[in-house]
Amino acid sequence: MKTRQLRSLLEDVLIGSALFALVLPSAWAVPSYARQTGMACSTCHTVFPELTPFGREFKLNGYVLDNMKQIKGITFERSETMSLNTIPPLSLMAQISYTHTSTALPDSSSITGALAQDGEASFPQQVSFFYAGKIAEGLGSFVQLTYSGPGDHFGLDNTDIRYAYHTSFDPAAQQDVIFGVTLNNNPTVQDPWNSTPAWGYPFAGSATAPTPITSAKLDSGAGAIGQNSAGLGGYMWFDHSVYAELTMYTGAKVGGTHPLDSSQAPLAHGIAPYWRLAYEKRWGQNSLSVGTFGIRAGIRPAATVPGSTTTPPQNVPLGPADKYTDYGLDTQYQYISDDHLVSAFGTYFHEKQNLDASFKYGLSANPSNTLNTEKLALQYYYRRKIGGSVGIFNTTGSTDTGLYAPAAVTGSASGSPSSRGYVFELNYVPFLNVKLQVQYVAYSKFNGGGGNYDGSGRNASDNNTLYLLGWFNF
Amino acid sequence: MTVKSAALKFLTLSVLACSIGPVLAQVSESDKKDAAKMASEVCASCHGPGGRSTAPTFPRLAAQTPAYIEAQLKAFHDQTRGDPDAIAYMWGMASQLNDNMIAALADYFSQQRPAPGTQASTAAIVTGRQIYEQGVPSAQIPACETCHGKGAAGAGPFPRLAGQHAPYLFKQMLVIQNALRSAPVMHGIVKDLTPQQMQQVAAYLGSL
Repeated sequence: MKTRQLRSLLEDVLIGSALFALVLPSAWAVPSYARQTGMACSTCHTVFPELTPFGREFKLNGYVLDNMKQIKGITFERSETMSLNTIPPLSLMAQISYTHTSTALPDSSSITGALAQDGEASFPQQVSFFYAGKIAEGLGSFVQLTYSGPGDHFGLDNTDIRYAYHTSFDPAAQQDVIFGVTLNNNPTVQDPWNSTPAWGYPFAGSATAPTPITSAKLDSGAGAIGQNSAGLGGYMWFDHSVYAELTMYTGAKVGGTHPLDSSQAPLAHGIAPYWRLAYEKRWGQNSLSVGTFGIRAGIRPAATVPGSTTTPPQNVPLGPADKYTDYGLDTQYQYISDDHLVSAFGTYFHEKQNLDASFKYGLSANPSNTLNTEKLALQYYYRRKIGGSVGIFNTTGSTDTGLYAPAAVTGSASGSPSSRGYVFELNYVPFLNVKLQVQYVAYSKFNGGGGNYDGSGRNASDNNTLYLLGWFNF
Repeated sequence: MTVKSAALKFLTLSVLACSIGPVLAQVSESDKKDAAKMASEVCASCHGPGGRSTAPTFPRLAAQTPAYIEAQLKAFHDQTRGDPDAIAYMWGMASQLNDNMIAALADYFSQQRPAPGTQASTAAIVTGRQIYEQGVPSAQIPACETCHGKGAAGAGPFPRLAGQHAPYLFKQMLVIQNALRSAPVMHGIVKDLTPQQMQQVAAYLGSL
């Protein structure tokens, strides 16, 4: 009985995590920036949403570069008290997709052996409204409001409001230094490179296909803290080459019961410092960046206590928290010419998990775990029209039968979070703001195994996913 | 038509072009300050500090002749220069520039120290230099030097080409040849240049 209850409980948790993953950020390009600057998408993007070096400069400069008439206010000293675009920086984005998994998922009904529909169109997968552009001199925004089709909800998506100021330690050498402040809701959403998670590869994916059981807190999969957090930080961009940032995050749960109580976990607890250091070298038509980033976050576990039979269930009291420390390394290479565009991305995460709360309440089998993830991707486009990419991802970590318990589709029979797979994409970009994509994700290992990984007879390859996407920005 | 008479014709056109070129405006101290700030905080993102860009998509502006910069910025502003990069990047960037700022930016970049040239294959440079200095007599193509000057330092509305990115120069010759960019004097000169000759000239100029 207890085992069945525990399984049911964990299924709820894992399904909840998977649903949580559905609303995690994707990365969008924004036509309102094009309207504001009067410049084509190709100035800031190789192919959206990946940024070019100029796109990175635009972002770090506070999204404020404008080439349209402004409504202004000034003082006698010529300092600006107001500077607003005459046209509001609004954009719309629509994603319409189709997902087909290799083997249909179990039906959620109680009919034994019933299967869910295999092959599903999402119209829309997502529709987003943006206010993205200049707010005032030096102050700009990227604000995204998203309606999720599968989730049937409308809410705040990726948001980054920032202020940037130029100075120089050595004006004679024409050195330029930007100091900036960012207020955002997702660690790495403020990052200008595409080798960090919020804007990382693959740039779009299915909202309905199964995803691996867990990911590092800074990563973009299940269990990540993006969009349920609020961060305020400062950064420096030194002479177009060195980037340093320190941002403090805290939990900012969207929805649920407020003031927040224990039913609202998982939730970042206290202050979580996020750090970032990166170096970029540009030469000719090439650019190469290397960097490190990380966060130390306290997270309240996301579960009711196993074995609880009370109704409503007994929640984990607010108080103890698990401690997660993520260390990330990333690198990005770009070659950009009129005819050929080559990009390569590499990201590595090492996460230390001190599960003080989870272990205490029996949610994890171990008091501490580790989780490692490597991602590599190579992408090519010909004349920004036709392109393709290949990616590989690999996650390994401590076996923990508490955290990673058996459950149909979403669970792990072995208690291992290990997953490995490949991403293949073919993309056609008929216009700079429209992308048509065919993506295939193939798993050689899913939640710790290749065959019967979930203890219910499902194989990793059953989750192989064909994903067709129409992506429109206007 | 001999090469000499062709050269004479283009020299005449050059003098004519010079005579109808923009009259450089006086630049106030206030505009100079604003232009330096814009150059450092905006233009430098692509054209590099002081106009010494590293990416060949973006031309080097350091030490460029002010009349040429002014003419180009006005062409971007008025949307009369229509090559793909001009449309993508500069139509927007120049749309809000007024004549004073255009003159100040031209003045600013013209006074920056030029970037050093980039070495290319010796054979290309040798042939390119020959085309630059002597033209291509067999195709009745006059010497580039006639207008762009010794050492490709430029003069008035004829741009400085020395040390410019070779891929950029090659692309400009192509877009002019394909009439994507209006350049009355150049249309007649590049119409019979082969892509290989363009690359050779570009390699030579880029190495200066």
